[in-house]
Amino acid sequence: MNMTLIKSIKDLPAEENLFPGTPTCAGCGGLLALRHCLKALGKKTVIVNAAGCFTLLSVYPFTPFQNSWLYTAMACAPAGAQGIRDALDILIKKRRLDPKEDLKVMVLTGDGVAYDIGLASTSGALHRNLDFYYICSDNEAYGNTGFQSSGATPFASRTGTTPVGKTSVAGSILPKKNLFEIWRSHNPPYLATISPSHPVDLINKFTKAETYKGPKLFINLSPCPAGWSTDPAHSARLAKLAVDTGIWSLKEAIYGDVRHTVIPRKFKPVEAYLKEQGRFAHLFKPVRQEDVIRKIQEMVDQYWNGIQKKDFIPA
Amino acid sequence: MPYIKNPTVQKDMRVSYSPTYTFFGAEQMLRVRFHGRGGQGAKVASRVLGTAAFLEGYCAQDFPLYGAERRGAPITAFTRISREPILERGVISEPDMVIILDETLLDDPQANPVSGIKEGGIVFINTAHSPAEAKDKHKVAERVITLDITKIGLDMLGLPVLSTLAGGVAARIAGIEEDSLRKAVEKEASAILTDEKLITKNLEASLFCFHAIHSLEVKTTEAIGKESPVIDVPFEPALISSPTINTTGNTPLRKTGNWRVFKPVWNYEACTKCMTCVARCPDGCIAMNEDGFPYTDYDNCKGCLICVEECPVKAIEKVREVHT
Repeated sequence: MNMTLIKSIKDLPAEENLFPGTPTCAGCGGLLALRHCLKALGKKTVIVNAAGCFTLLSVYPFTPFQNSWLYTAMACAPAGAQGIRDALDILIKKRRLDPKEDLKVMVLTGDGVAYDIGLASTSGALHRNLDFYYICSDNEAYGNTGFQSSGATPFASRTGTTPVGKTSVAGSILPKKNLFEIWRSHNPPYLATISPSHPVDLINKFTKAETYKGPKLFINLSPCPAGWSTDPAHSARLAKLAVDTGIWSLKEAIYGDVRHTVIPRKFKPVEAYLKEQGRFAHLFKPVRQEDVIRKIQEMVDQYWNGIQKKDFIPA
Repeated sequence: MPYIKNPTVQKDMRVSYSPTYTFFGAEQMLRVRFHGRGGQGAKVASRVLGTAAFLEGYCAQDFPLYGAERRGAPITAFTRISREPILERGVISEPDMVIILDETLLDDPQANPVSGIKEGGIVFINTAHSPAEAKDKHKVAERVITLDITKIGLDMLGLPVLSTLAGGVAARIAGIEEDSLRKAVEKEASAILTDEKLITKNLEASLFCFHAIHSLEVKTTEAIGKESPVIDVPFEPALISSPTINTTGNTPLRKTGNWRVFKPVWNYEACTKCMTCVARCPDGCIAMNEDGFPYTDYDNCKGCLICVEECPVKAIEKVREVHT
């Protein structure tokens, strides 16, 4: 395989395909990752956007994209992608479109769509081996509507629908769904987790993904200042802390074979990540909920104990 | 409802309350519209005013209106105050009083904060300018009151969050008593904040703003508003009725630089050209100049300050933005 992988942020593509002036919140972690994803994918990509925060990027009469963009309902973005892919294929077959002019098709959704509402149509697209990209911007709740709990909400997070009170002093009592493993069970050619704090790893994953035909899926952990109740200036640092504490594992799966691309040399305690965020503030104030913090640490430790060093390849 | 004094049922079945208040005449209503940016606290400000009026014995109604936008984008919130039960619903298109939390909104045609204001109405602008300067600069015909509540917020709370401060200003102009405001701020702040110290600071800041404004007479208007015309939207085929954008990358026209409270300023003597700020800017505002130094597009930089936080040599300084 002839791939040019980059080594430092100085090698990031200079081309900007996502323009400033978008209505997303200041310090949006999802936008930062999307900016890098579009550097990798380039202008010749059609974006199919399921309803969510990112549909606000293109509000009539403005768009930040260099790409064509289609807005779909929450459940059906992969179906929209199938339609566009088929249309392109038919045009090429009928010689009405030069194969050099072919476009990539990319689905862009939030975690509400990826983990819950659009899971069925994604499963269908994976089953049909649709040649497309899928980027899930996971801020761990329905951020667009006021931060209600989703399938991606982690244990102990406060959300609009899992408030901290008499019923649950811990916030959300359910653990985060493992979407990576759900998608991996379909055996797609390329599947990876990415982070806005690791743009080099992100770009290299897209470079690798490009060599495969079929579904290429990415889950990005997107720090969300409004929902997580954090300072917008801390978004990049929180994304990095999620990786350094082991809460967000950066990995890829090629036809189901999992490799970790970043393993912290020394893991920071999860507390370092939790205590910075308003959505976990109840774990520390007014009384410290030691048992809950320990349980989160145990969940992280349990995950990494199962990871062997041989599973690691630097991206 | 303990606040009701001597309710009497009239012939038309509307409940009316005998006047025990000094301010609003019978059948009168005060309509207040708040303009701010998402996250500044316009919604809570409208709520503080509504709750304060309610605690003082008035009927009150407050609600926000968000467009398809996020933090930083223009939002509006509304408060109606009356001695009578309020039957009017929906947005206030003809306010008696407008509270503007962000001066730059006056230049935003999409926000247009002074639209529809009644003759003799009052416009409060959060700005460091004097009322005369602000009136002249923004071409506002109505009575203008100004106070730099962003500065008060930063000094007293350490945050540019203006909810209880703007609530204090609005309560003063509307003629609400200090005690009602105090109770309203305590109630509303403790509903969203758990930090006791921050609640106390909010109360102090709110009362500071309350006393910084001179009380003045506000004209109220009839409780029953004019009927709004119903706009008939005819059915159109999807090709006509669904919006299509036939251009690329035109969001820079939005000028999200107006959102900033602080701006990043680079010190090129300390800068090592490492490009961390370029890689970390969510909006892609930062680029390198001919000499290899980073610079930002201040027209669109939202002031998230990730660059300031991430710069490994601390070569970027956080400077209070003064929009001129």
